[in-house]
Amino acid sequence: MEDKTSIGEDNDLSKRYEQLYTMLLDAIPSSVLLINQHMRIVSANRNFLEKGQRTLVNTIGYRLEEVFPTIILDQMDITKRIRQVIEKKWPVKGERMTYRAPGVPIRIYYYSILPFTWQNRVEGAVLLMDDVTEQVRLGEEVRMVERHLASIVESASDLILSTDRKGRILTWNAAAERLTDFRAAEARERCFVDFCIDEDHKDIYDIYSLIDTRKYAQMQECTLRTSKGTFIPVSFVFSPMKDSYNQTVGVVAVGRDLTERRKLEMELHQAQKFAALGVMAGGIAHEIRNPLAICSSSAQFLQEEDRTPEFRRECADKIHKGIRRTSAIIENLLKYSHPSKTTKTTLINIISLVKETHILVTYHAKILKIEINTSFPRQPVMVEGVATLLQQVFMNLFLNAINAMPTGGNLGIDVKIVDSRVRVQITDTGCGISPREIGKIFDPFYTTSIVGQGTGLGLSLCYSIVKQHSGTIDVESVEGIGSTFTVNLPAHYEGVEV
Amino acid sequence: MNKKFAPILIVDDEPEMCWILENVIRKTGFACKTALSAKEALNLAENDQFGMAFLDAKLPDIDGLELARQLRKKNTRLPIVIVSGYFYIDDLIIEGVVREGLITAFIGKPFEHDEIVDVITRFAFR
Repeated sequence: MEDKTSIGEDNDLSKRYEQLYTMLLDAIPSSVLLINQHMRIVSANRNFLEKGQRTLVNTIGYRLEEVFPTIILDQMDITKRIRQVIEKKWPVKGERMTYRAPGVPIRIYYYSILPFTWQNRVEGAVLLMDDVTEQVRLGEEVRMVERHLASIVESASDLILSTDRKGRILTWNAAAERLTDFRAAEARERCFVDFCIDEDHKDIYDIYSLIDTRKYAQMQECTLRTSKGTFIPVSFVFSPMKDSYNQTVGVVAVGRDLTERRKLEMELHQAQKFAALGVMAGGIAHEIRNPLAICSSSAQFLQEEDRTPEFRRECADKIHKGIRRTSAIIENLLKYSHPSKTTKTTLINIISLVKETHILVTYHAKILKIEINTSFPRQPVMVEGVATLLQQVFMNLFLNAINAMPTGGNLGIDVKIVDSRVRVQITDTGCGISPREIGKIFDPFYTTSIVGQGTGLGLSLCYSIVKQHSGTIDVESVEGIGSTFTVNLPAHYEGVEV
Repeated sequence: MNKKFAPILIVDDEPEMCWILENVIRKTGFACKTALSAKEALNLAENDQFGMAFLDAKLPDIDGLELARQLRKKNTRLPIVIVSGYFYIDDLIIEGVVREGLITAFIGKPFEHDEIVDVITRFAFR
């Protein structure tokens, strides 16, 4: 009785395990097949039956080739593999299989074959198949997205590069290759600063050291050195590259080639110069025709026979003086109107630059009955910058001041050193600027001039040039009393910024 | 030199220009008086009757054309010639003032001395 009971209990227990086993098998999202040495199916779980659109009745006891399409078995050599597993007791792991049951779309399985051993004897094999169709599809999509992103970076005409936190190049796109003529492989062995001119190094180090603390992306103009030894101005935006823990792991730099823009800017500056010359043309002509008249008349006197030797000497003297005066004016004009192709900065004596510019406008000022009062420091004051650009700033400010005084007035030009900066103040006693307009005067194309008389670019160009020279430009004005424009520029002494 | 001739007024802020006009005009037998500004010229016109006036267009105080108007007020028949490097003969302003009768002639700088002699022979009061 006791035995029966225990056998009954054993039966009970094994039934429970069997049910549990079946449940587990049916619950797992993989297909599981138990195959014996004769290649007949001993057991199949629900997942397999569902995927294969089969029932237990037409599966259990059937041979493998009756259940699987021959093409798959042949292609994947599954029968042979199962045999090997059974013989060698060695599992086959991680193989891919494409399976198509009749009437369902293609599925991709990842399968393993494990030997089934009972009491040290291999009785069969378990074929485990995971449906990875979805994963494969997702992987495919991920790859597509990756390819798409890569092609965006590669197709961009802007330079896109990434570096580690120390500035070592990680990626270098096609635009960077095109522009610098350094291949990505060459670039990857080097640091970002290696591609920039020495003058830019400090700024770049600063950006890297502050990349974490800055809220916004940092902008910086750099001059890149190409493999051919030429230089290209590039405007960069540096952004921190974060990992999934929001830690900065590197820097992304996106740069735009400024060559074309620089060329356009130069053309714009040149156009502005000619516009200024146009404004001053009357005064210049007047200034040149006077000494010409003196020369011409003196020459005519020399042709008269009844003039005394003293008078003749005086004539020759006046001709000589007149020619010198004319050529000085022409020299000034040529110097001013000569197009400068370079935007290279040099050390400039700002005093002589302001003086030269002031001489150019004196002719124009004179005919408008504008008195010019100047005050300059005795010592030369050096400023680092592009001379032709800075001259344009002062030319624009002088002409604006003069234009504000159509019926005459006073133009004050005052240069001083204030707190190791050069301060140039241009004061007029003209019409002034209304509080309503004063906020807009540095905007491009804002003008109060009559159509055809002003381009509306003068002050906005001044603003951008001064800013480019790390300076400031301010205006104070009282309507009906006059305006004062103040330009502040960092002064340099013996090549050292003070 | 014929003392009956009224002198000719020369106004130019450049002494050299005055010197030239003086030397050209004296040869025609006329006497000259020179002024370097409009104010000076108007002062001279207070005391003297001029036979003609040569004015520069751009003077330090008031414009030559404005000076012409003021001289015209004092003497409606005074022949006035503008000698200038600022305007050109076909300038609309010049054409206007010639038509208006404010000025008698315009001579651009630089000029031939014959041009000066010619306007004197044609227009100066003797």
